[in-house]
Amino acid sequence: MKPRILLLLVVAAFASVSFCFTGHPEASWQLAQLDDYLLNILLMAGINVILAVSLNMVNGYTGQFSLGHAGFMAVGAYGSAAITQIQGKALLEALGFLGAAAPVVLFSLAMLVGGVLAALAGLAVGLPSLRLKGDYLAIVTLGFGEIIRVMLQNTEALGGARGLTGIPPRTTLGWTWAIAALSIYCVGALVRSTYGRGFLAVRDDEIAAEAMGINTTRYKVTAFVVGSFFAGLAGALYAHMICYISPEGFSFMKSVDVVVMVILGGMGSTAGVTLAAILLTFLNEVLRQMQEYRMVAFSLLLIVLMIARPQGLIGDLARFLPGRTRLKP
Amino acid sequence: MSSLLQMQKVTVRFGGLVAVSEVDFHVHPGELVGLIGPNGAGKTTLFNVVTGVYAPTSGSVQFANCQVGGEPPFRITARGIARTFQNIRLFASLSVLDNVVSALNLHSKNGFFGALWRGKAFRAEEEENREEARKLLEIFGLADAAHAPCRSLPYGDQRRLEIVRALATKPRLLLLDEPAAGMNPTEKIELMRLIRFIRERFGLAVLLVEHDMKVVMGICERIAVLEHGCKIAEGTPSDIRRDSRVIAAYLGGEVANA
Repeated sequence: MKPRILLLLVVAAFASVSFCFTGHPEASWQLAQLDDYLLNILLMAGINVILAVSLNMVNGYTGQFSLGHAGFMAVGAYGSAAITQIQGKALLEALGFLGAAAPVVLFSLAMLVGGVLAALAGLAVGLPSLRLKGDYLAIVTLGFGEIIRVMLQNTEALGGARGLTGIPPRTTLGWTWAIAALSIYCVGALVRSTYGRGFLAVRDDEIAAEAMGINTTRYKVTAFVVGSFFAGLAGALYAHMICYISPEGFSFMKSVDVVVMVILGGMGSTAGVTLAAILLTFLNEVLRQMQEYRMVAFSLLLIVLMIARPQGLIGDLARFLPGRTRLKP
Repeated sequence: MSSLLQMQKVTVRFGGLVAVSEVDFHVHPGELVGLIGPNGAGKTTLFNVVTGVYAPTSGSVQFANCQVGGEPPFRITARGIARTFQNIRLFASLSVLDNVVSALNLHSKNGFFGALWRGKAFRAEEEENREEARKLLEIFGLADAAHAPCRSLPYGDQRRLEIVRALATKPRLLLLDEPAAGMNPTEKIELMRLIRFIRERFGLAVLLVEHDMKVVMGICERIAVLEHGCKIAEGTPSDIRRDSRVIAAYLGGEVANA
């Protein structure tokens, strides 16, 4: 229990500080202005935390290897942009009676739509494919991600290969980190319950789980839907942060990035993957000067960590903190 | 007396291979029944039909007067049939207590939204579940290790924990798949006492698949013998011990070679 509370405190502190001091350049209520570069890194870190924590629900806690997270993120990004950009004017007029709050209300609505659409996509992909195991599931989810990308590339109404421009900048640090905190809470709360032990049981031994009365298919699909919902929210935040989305931004490499965060942080450790997501976002920026060697550095880091700490940055550590086990007197 | 488990003319075919052929078999409530047979006789296949891992090719499986043949394992467990595994299958990353708690899931009312909302009813049930798991562990002398990782338990305790976990699903029929495998003679005697104790304490029927004759003959009230997928004998331990076809099947004899 303790690491999660600590984590929530850190995230809450992060969120409240950012609420007071910064916002998006166009947000009117900011007290002080962070420089844009740092702001964007902090936003990206939050979005990556959401992505990593939600993928950890599927890959880490439920043990299903998904490689299609960027696909669900794309569904959320395009779904929300459809609300605020494509239908934005008409909807803003309809919400006119709300006055100044209208854009914010519309944005929350757009995020919800993005998340729900991504969750539905997760359901549609999960139901048939979660009968598969290991590599096979990985390939199906990878294929799904690519299908989404190619479909977006060929849908002119969503900008096609050129992408969608003119998305209003609505993402703030507050929104981003509040949703990051929400995802951490939801995943943590789900897993830490009698119901949630089912996810871990499915991961540890599917046959035994089934024999203990656990509907394994249902658990796997549930994990998948929760994971894609938050991936959709992350996509919505991303779209309204850089204000321009194109299918290339949601390629297979984006999914791999998230998988690397989960593996580095430690499969099935929310605190670990949160840390890894933040660290990797910053590392990405540190290594920006040597663009072409960035991937080399990433791979090296992964290899070294797999040798030194196969359980991930935090991994099993949380389980052996005092108060949780009585192994050490 | 009506049977708890009733199998009629159950056949399981894998392609051209007939693993189980027209087997009739039943278990009464509260009975302790053994299922034996040489390697490859179809014991485990029959076991897997009862637990829903395989669907019977033909024939009927009834549990408490309901047709259960072909239902998925989790639903069969919900009906009141629990099992253990020949090779231990505990949830390796969970603690001893959580292994039992995970099996209490079946009868919990709070699900997905309960876990997210964490209201009063949810917290009460969580506490109840943990208490119940602790009580079960206590009965089997595992309470001291409740928070240890289950992998750290000695072999015999891991087998016992598997039985505790199965009992947590509140079964009326408990299936034990070779519980004596890998045990030394002292542990086997302990196991026999344990099985008898479970039957008395929880008032359930036990079906035992076992290689070890001493264990089977020692505790079972009735024994069925399988060979090449067919039931060749059924009766009390002393009947079985004298049955010429059983002796032939195990030791090899003219009847078996004919």
